[in-house]
Amino acid sequence: MKTGMLKISPGFEEIMPPEYRELVDNGPYGKDYGIGDLGSYKELLEEHPLCAGCGLALSLRLTLASLPMPEDTVIVGSTGCSALAFPQVALHNIHSLFGNQNAVASGLKRALKLRFPEKEKDVVVIAGDGATADIGLDMVMQSWLRREKITTIMLDNEAYANTGGQESGMSMQGAVLNMAPTGKKFPKLSLPEIAHTCGCAYVAAASPAKPKQLAKVVRRAILVAREIGPTYVQLYSPCPTNYKFNPKETVSLIKQREKDGLYQSKEYISQEAQAFLESIEVKK
Amino acid sequence: MRESSYKVLPGPEGYLPPAAATMGVMLPDPGQAIMEGESVDRDTALRAAALKLIEARNPVFFPGPLILWDWKPGVAEKATALKELAEAVGAKMIPMPDYRPKYPMINPAIEVNPNHPNLTIWHNKIDVCLFIGVHCHYANLALKIIRGGTDCYTIAVCAEAGHEEAMISLRDAGLCELQRLRELVIELKGGKNQ
Amino acid sequence: MIDQKIVDPDYLLFEAPRTSEYITGSEAVREAIKRANVDMAIAYPITPQSESMHLVGDIYAQGYVKEYFRGENEFAVMSSVAGASMAGVRVFTATGGPGTMRAFEVFPTWAGARLPIVCAFMTRGINSPLTIQPDTIEMAYLLETGILMLHAENSQDLHDMLLMAFMVAEKTDVHIPVGVFADGFFVTHTRDKVNMLPEDCKLPSYDPYTSPVPVMDMENVPVRQMRDPFVMKSNFISYAAHASWQQEIDAAAERSRKYLNHYLGGLIDVEHEDADIFIVTSGTAVSQSREAIATAREEGINVGLVKIKSIRPFPGEEIRALASRSKGIIVPEFNRVGWLAKEICSVIDEPRKVVRGPRVFGGMTMPPELILAEIRRINQ
Ligand SMILES: Cc1ncc(C[n+]2csc(CCOP(=O)(O)OP(=O)(O)O)c2C)c(N)n1
Ligand code: SF4
Ligand SMILES: [Mg+2]
Repeated sequence: MKTGMLKISPGFEEIMPPEYRELVDNGPYGKDYGIGDLGSYKELLEEHPLCAGCGLALSLRLTLASLPMPEDTVIVGSTGCSALAFPQVALHNIHSLFGNQNAVASGLKRALKLRFPEKEKDVVVIAGDGATADIGLDMVMQSWLRREKITTIMLDNEAYANTGGQESGMSMQGAVLNMAPTGKKFPKLSLPEIAHTCGCAYVAAASPAKPKQLAKVVRRAILVAREIGPTYVQLYSPCPTNYKFNPKETVSLIKQREKDGLYQSKEYISQEAQAFLESIEVKK
Repeated sequence: MRESSYKVLPGPEGYLPPAAATMGVMLPDPGQAIMEGESVDRDTALRAAALKLIEARNPVFFPGPLILWDWKPGVAEKATALKELAEAVGAKMIPMPDYRPKYPMINPAIEVNPNHPNLTIWHNKIDVCLFIGVHCHYANLALKIIRGGTDCYTIAVCAEAGHEEAMISLRDAGLCELQRLRELVIELKGGKNQ
Repeated sequence: MIDQKIVDPDYLLFEAPRTSEYITGSEAVREAIKRANVDMAIAYPITPQSESMHLVGDIYAQGYVKEYFRGENEFAVMSSVAGASMAGVRVFTATGGPGTMRAFEVFPTWAGARLPIVCAFMTRGINSPLTIQPDTIEMAYLLETGILMLHAENSQDLHDMLLMAFMVAEKTDVHIPVGVFADGFFVTHTRDKVNMLPEDCKLPSYDPYTSPVPVMDMENVPVRQMRDPFVMKSNFISYAAHASWQQEIDAAAERSRKYLNHYLGGLIDVEHEDADIFIVTSGTAVSQSREAIATAREEGINVGLVKIKSIRPFPGEEIRALASRSKGIIVPEFNRVGWLAKEICSVIDEPRKVVRGPRVFGGMTMPPELILAEIRRINQ
């Protein structure tokens, strides 16, 4: 975004709806805000229609607050619960189809590089576990194999939530869900390890139960994608509606899972990414 | 080529009016404008628009993002000219700040949305509206929904190829057309400014 | 790479000096893309298309195209092409037959999202059993995707239509994809005389900010913008918004008529306008028909030819007018289902005048005798 692009035309200040005036006066573009600043500025995400206690909504809010350069970030989403929130996000974002997000992002990133060779444009994919690990897995992996400089973020609620709670490749073995009436017969896919093998320069698993960690990995992933190559972040984001737990207990459920050894945060950093991160993180 | 007898008139035309283009209505050639489905010269359209605006009970301008934001050179001047035109007409401005579906969260008193512009027209009892600075795709959606559900007379000041869905549409319109429209409004009002 | 200057599209297509060469259809694609000022091309192999995208790869290596890569499958390629187009570049790809079918879910979203993508379809049979042979059946499936469809008779058409396609697709009031169709092998792999344009000229570049929808680059307004948000609540307001959106895509296709008429000199070409019987067809079936017509006219039968160049938009009025004063219409086709005959029957007043054939498929060439037999039969 050119500096000063988001300026209300003279004489239109009073008629512009308040949510936009706030975005201009107190938005995150061009500022170096992080999650510590939440509550003190106008966030990118307006009111959204996701369920109360939705883990994915929490992850999305924290992710958007952690973008290193929102003014030059374009997001590619996919069909699923998060797509219902994206019309409310004050960033250019694309919903194309279910599962093709990494292919769309590959074309988008290369095209933006052509049009703005001198400028960084961060392309971030944010999609569900079904979109990422099942129907779109080939395109996700192929974008990594091709070393596309994009960040892939999975909002992992361990089910196809938007279509009513069906089993996905990310559901735990034994989970009883729609289309798995007698329990899932095979284990949760280890996508972080696959991402690592496929050449992602930076891979992390985190959750909104530890917001600071989530913010750190999202930021690292985007910065590494910009400089080095593909990155992957998996965010465990439980769904109270389909897993039928109390919406107030989303965060405690994550913590319990961690205690039980059924969820763990992870980070794989390539040597090149490590050197790069050290160079910028020391500077700061 | 088929001559069209389809007229683009204030509605309500009904459940789902056809897109005017599929009824044979053609966009005007450069230098021309379109009025109720027919090509006319630019000055005829400007004069007719000025008349509609001053005769309206409650004329309202719907500025879209391309003029609400001073996002590229030339916009600020157009925005100022639009404001002056609105003052000359005595028209209110209700913005179309973006295109996301907002129903049922929309506050029709302060904004208009291309997916359900009829809500704003009904709520404010608007009888003539003017579109400007709205991306062409969304302008056509909105203009057609307005024809379908309301009796509002629609005017489009388009910077590109124009809109057959509007009752009056200019094409390639910019600062100069806004200024001319203001002169005509003042002239038709009897020379009295405001 | 030769230094190229940007020229007016009308100059390039209508006035620039042409030199004639014997080249294949695939080479004609290369020559068109070389002059089309394309930013990006994405490829995936399938016979009989592969060679054309190899050659586009060659001109990428020479610098005529700025970005090029092989995608992982046609669904992904068509998705990547959509992403590139939403970012505001001019983008090209090509496929055919099973490739078209593999990508299918994406095609209607191109038009819905107002993407001015140009795609060449080198048509081929669809499985099963597997065939790589020419057949135009995939066009039947693409008719209602919102993609504009031009059908080339030969390499010259393919070359010219590709260049025109970008100009029409990118008009603000159109701004929907254009598919340029060529019959696989018959056009792609045979050598033909093509009148080529000067190598040092190219089309003007694409200006994404004249698009009827915002470009996804965070450099234009509004910034709170999704391409494209769901409008799917269960109420009349949502239905009306979705329906109007689709109508606007139809409207965009209608608006393309003016530009296509200009560039193509009409959506149809007619030979022997005063004929009693017309052969109405598209693609290479036109060439076959021409031979049959020559023989029939020697026999004293007043038979004419209608070559349909644009399938979407369909030249309904033009064909209706010709049909009303003819005694019979013969529609030869290279497919099993006869989609063109159905289209023609749907626009004329007396569908019983239409002979829905002859048809060949599975890779066969159309013997002009088959067409001739129909002409003679109707003439009696
Ligand atoms: C081609 C296709 N197949 C199936 C669907 C139906 N569908 C829509 S959303 C969805 C589930 C999404 O699951 P996930 O990616 O995990 O996202 P979540 O809703 O859980 O956030 C499915 C199966 C579709 N839209 N398109
Ligand atoms: S269904 Fe689950 S994932 Fe979807 S919005 Fe509701 S809580 Fe969130
Ligand atoms: Mg899920």
